[in-house]
Amino acid sequence: MADDLKTPLLDELEKGPWPSFVKDIKSLAGKKEMAKDLLRQLEKSYEDKRGYWKHGGLVGVMGYGGGVIGRYSALPEEFPGVSHFHTLRINQTSGWFYTADALREILNIWEEHGSGLLNVHGSTGDLVLLGTRTEELEPTFRALTEKGWDLGGSGSDLRTPSCCVGPGRCEYACYDTLSLAYNLTHAYQDELHRPMFNYKYKIKMSGCPNDCTAAIARSDMGIIGIWKDDIQVKPDAVAEYVDSGLDVQGLVVENCPTGCIELDGNEIKIDNSNCVKCMHCINVMPKALSPGKERGAAITLGAKAPIVEGALFGSVIIPFMKLEEPFEEVHDLIERIWEFWDEHGTNRERIGEFIERVSLATFLEGIGEKPLPQMIKAPRDNPYVFYEEYYAEEGEGEK
Amino acid sequence: MATEVERKTDIGPPHYEKFLHPLVKENYGKWEYHETLAPGVLMHHGPAGDLYTVRVSSPRLVSINFLNNILDLADKYADGYLRFTSRNNVEFLLANKDNIEPLKKEISELGLLVGGTNNAISNIVHTQGWVHCHSAATDASGLVKSVMDELAEYFTSQKLPAKLRIAVACCLNMCGAVHASDIAILGVHRTPPKIDNATLPNLCEIPTTVASCPNNAIRPTSIEGKTTVKVDEDKCMYCGNCYTVCPAMPLADPLNDGVSIWVGGKICNARSEPMFTKLAIPYLPNNPPRWPEVTGAVKNIVEIYAANAKPYERVGEWINRIGWPKFFDLTGIEFTKYHLDDFRHAGTTYRRSLHNRY
Amino acid sequence: MAIPVEQLADEMYEIIKESAGVKKLKGGDLTKAMVAKYGDEVSRADAKAAIRMLIDSGRCVYGYFGGSSIELPHSEAAENK
Ligand code: HEM
Ligand code: HEM
Ligand code: HEM
Ligand code: HEM
Ligand code: SF4
Ligand code: SF4
Ligand code: SF4
Ligand code: SF4
Repeated sequence: MADDLKTPLLDELEKGPWPSFVKDIKSLAGKKEMAKDLLRQLEKSYEDKRGYWKHGGLVGVMGYGGGVIGRYSALPEEFPGVSHFHTLRINQTSGWFYTADALREILNIWEEHGSGLLNVHGSTGDLVLLGTRTEELEPTFRALTEKGWDLGGSGSDLRTPSCCVGPGRCEYACYDTLSLAYNLTHAYQDELHRPMFNYKYKIKMSGCPNDCTAAIARSDMGIIGIWKDDIQVKPDAVAEYVDSGLDVQGLVVENCPTGCIELDGNEIKIDNSNCVKCMHCINVMPKALSPGKERGAAITLGAKAPIVEGALFGSVIIPFMKLEEPFEEVHDLIERIWEFWDEHGTNRERIGEFIERVSLATFLEGIGEKPLPQMIKAPRDNPYVFYEEYYAEEGEGEK
Repeated sequence: MATEVERKTDIGPPHYEKFLHPLVKENYGKWEYHETLAPGVLMHHGPAGDLYTVRVSSPRLVSINFLNNILDLADKYADGYLRFTSRNNVEFLLANKDNIEPLKKEISELGLLVGGTNNAISNIVHTQGWVHCHSAATDASGLVKSVMDELAEYFTSQKLPAKLRIAVACCLNMCGAVHASDIAILGVHRTPPKIDNATLPNLCEIPTTVASCPNNAIRPTSIEGKTTVKVDEDKCMYCGNCYTVCPAMPLADPLNDGVSIWVGGKICNARSEPMFTKLAIPYLPNNPPRWPEVTGAVKNIVEIYAANAKPYERVGEWINRIGWPKFFDLTGIEFTKYHLDDFRHAGTTYRRSLHNRY
Repeated sequence: MAIPVEQLADEMYEIIKESAGVKKLKGGDLTKAMVAKYGDEVSRADAKAAIRMLIDSGRCVYGYFGGSSIELPHSEAAENK
């Protein structure tokens, strides 16, 4: 190890059962000035209890407005290795599947052009190459595209759409999340790379209401698998669960939020007209129960973190849509939404804030959708209705 | 203008089919059910055969050395196929059941843990912190390491009443989704940016700096004949946007920056609807390298929850059943004025009934 | 008649130059400015093409701050050489 690397505080984090990022960065410190100075600057942060980074807003690769996060050390003389420490976001693949060989190609590029450090993955779901110099950005980009990889988004653009493992390894998937994520990422390359929106736009896809990608909390647009008909029941398998001693009454029936399951000996009856597709019973008895056959997705809009107007969960805009390749209905909806938001949204206004400002009714009208009771928890409880239709006195007709 | 050799743009990611294990391809969309063979080891059954998944911890911030080790294991035991989960765990996809034990052995030799399935604490989703971000109020990687060292036994077992999801975000921008986790650890700044009036006039464009503030807290002002800015402290919400454009307005404040703890969020729809996290502890100090106050507080909440919740009850569902007064009572966490919401629609969080337990 | 994309790009460039250091403009602002001036003679696609022309030629760059503004190339306060 380089002898000028003294990091007593960080060394504490090499101990303990959880894998240590410090140990890992150190494994590169002999080879990479960047890794070494990253540790030295981080040690100073640990001593002083504060960060030492500045934000770079202009760096990027030619022609793209997103995909690179500019970063400069605030102490470049002391830590020259991280004077520049920019990040590249790489388009995630559907479901985060890789072959070892494909990932090795990326690692080799990164060993040559950057710090050798990565986030697998960043919170956007993209693969994050952490730390390189301005003059290396374009060469890294060229090497990546040569191997078939491209950059993700940042700033006021589309983020790389993200999806759960879906039909790739999950029996609950109600539509092909991997295929839709791939389709949307390729259909909207321009929106991903050349920021034209009021603010960022994230699309996350989960194959069922378990929502393993947190679409309802973390995406402007969530596409969450759901079914309309009856839960499929295998009576023999139910009986096996009962016989094996699973407390079906206590753990399944009594936990159903709508009380729509009845257990009679070792048979169950589900009142599907009252099932809210919460997944609980299916999660507990995966061998016996599965989602129905008439499958598709519900689409939610408007989740966002607290900046600027407070945090929001997504709310249901399309209660049910069939999802089949080539997914034209989804494209059509996305484009109607973007057009209305572009036209009437303000700078840095996320779609969720936009809908709250203009009202759900106006938004639905703007994108050409009808109001439905599935979109709300309850109708309004304040009586100040601004009626748009009323009769005028002398046959002037409706306004 | 690109004149030399062809420069590729807008090619998007590779097609995922290239990366699917043959068994995954054959069973694609036809999976029938799954079983958990052991913590971190799943079996998915499909008509073309059974696929075994081994889920492994990762610090998320990793080096090419770490990944090369992982890839070698994938080659050796998983026909060269692997994937990563939405919480940054590694998953090896095996066609051969006999490879599970030797793979687990080599994983443990690398110092990694197998687990994170079902009623476990999975990996902590987190953000950049002092490792990479300019607006961080705390470190993320170090906090995660410290907390998971304390809770590792819950990663490698499935003994909790239900899943327990933890998230860390290093400032209120919350780039990591902590607003809907069972337990959230959130970095907080408590003071507005400090203005360096000596350098600001030369370094920063005044109109841009003023416009950077989402809350209109920044006004131009004049000091000794030079135009600079001032901050209306009542309006500032410590977001760091101004520092992004103007390095003469650092937000970092070692004396006051720290961590808050939030509880009871939930994303999946099972049983109850998704819920936001609610404030449990307004402030704990930054105490690197191990943040003992934070790890202690998180562990306490986990243990009280584990001892009191019913099967399948997530933290938020448990609290809703017993009520917030009892939550504060059981955990011994002090209830303060900071727990009372004062933002828009704050009133909806006030008790507007007599449904209280005494 | 449709306004040529080159002309749109030149006019956008002038607007960006005038507001440099005063107001950050985004793609949407520039598009709206052109639509305000020429109405139906400007399509969204043409405005987008004009912006792409400005960026690809290096006359303008994307700024990150404030949500991806389109700016004249310049060095920024945070930059280290
Ligand atoms: C004005 C508010 C915000 C600012 C100034 C901001 C700034 C940043 C910066 C500078 C980074 C790069 C961190 C790094 O690599 O060093 C980042 C990353 C990120 N931001 Fe934000 N952010 C803001 C709000 C948000 C919001 C509201 C979200 C979503 C809820 C978000 C999601 C993300 C994500 C997912 C990342 C990647 C983080 C990671 O992978 O670790 N940001 N943000
Ligand atoms: C269009 C506006 C409203 C009108 C014309 C109106 C009229 C009335 C009338 C006539 C009564 C019955 C008084 C009585 O007991 O003789 C009443 C009761 C009441 N109103 Fe309103 N009201 C209006 C809006 C509201 C609103 C917006 C609220 C609260 C959000 C409200 C809350 C109440 C309450 C709490 C009572 C007492 C109810 C009870 O005794 O059960 N009112 N209102
Ligand atoms: C037995 C039923 C369930 C099955 C078969 C299942 C399946 C899966 C699968 C395949 C993944 C990996 C997803 C990916 O990375 O794309 C996953 C991850 C995840 N699921 Fe589920 N899920 C189930 C129930 C749930 C429930 C009920 C919740 C929430 C309450 C949930 C929350 C999560 C979370 C947070 C992750 C990320 C975990 C990690 O990376 O370690 N899942 N689940
Ligand atoms: C307790 C503090 C919170 C933390 C640490 C936190 C953290 C995060 C993180 C890490 C993301 C993920 C960004 C991504 O990868 O897409 C996120 C997204 C989001 N958060 Fe939170 N969050 C918090 C509170 C809230 C609250 C209170 C709300 C709303 C009431 C909220 C709403 C959202 C929304 C809507 C997103 C979605 C995505 C986005 O903006 O891209 N968050 N949050
Ligand atoms: S969201 Fe549903 S379909 Fe997707 S991985 Fe999770 S449980 Fe499976
Ligand atoms: S999915 Fe949920 S609501 Fe529907 S029957 Fe099962 S437990 Fe009840
Ligand atoms: S949460 Fe704050 S400090 Fe952490 S990465 Fe995001 S902006 Fe940076
Ligand atoms: S920290 Fe945020 S709210 Fe405070 S002055 Fe700066 S930009 Fe405004």
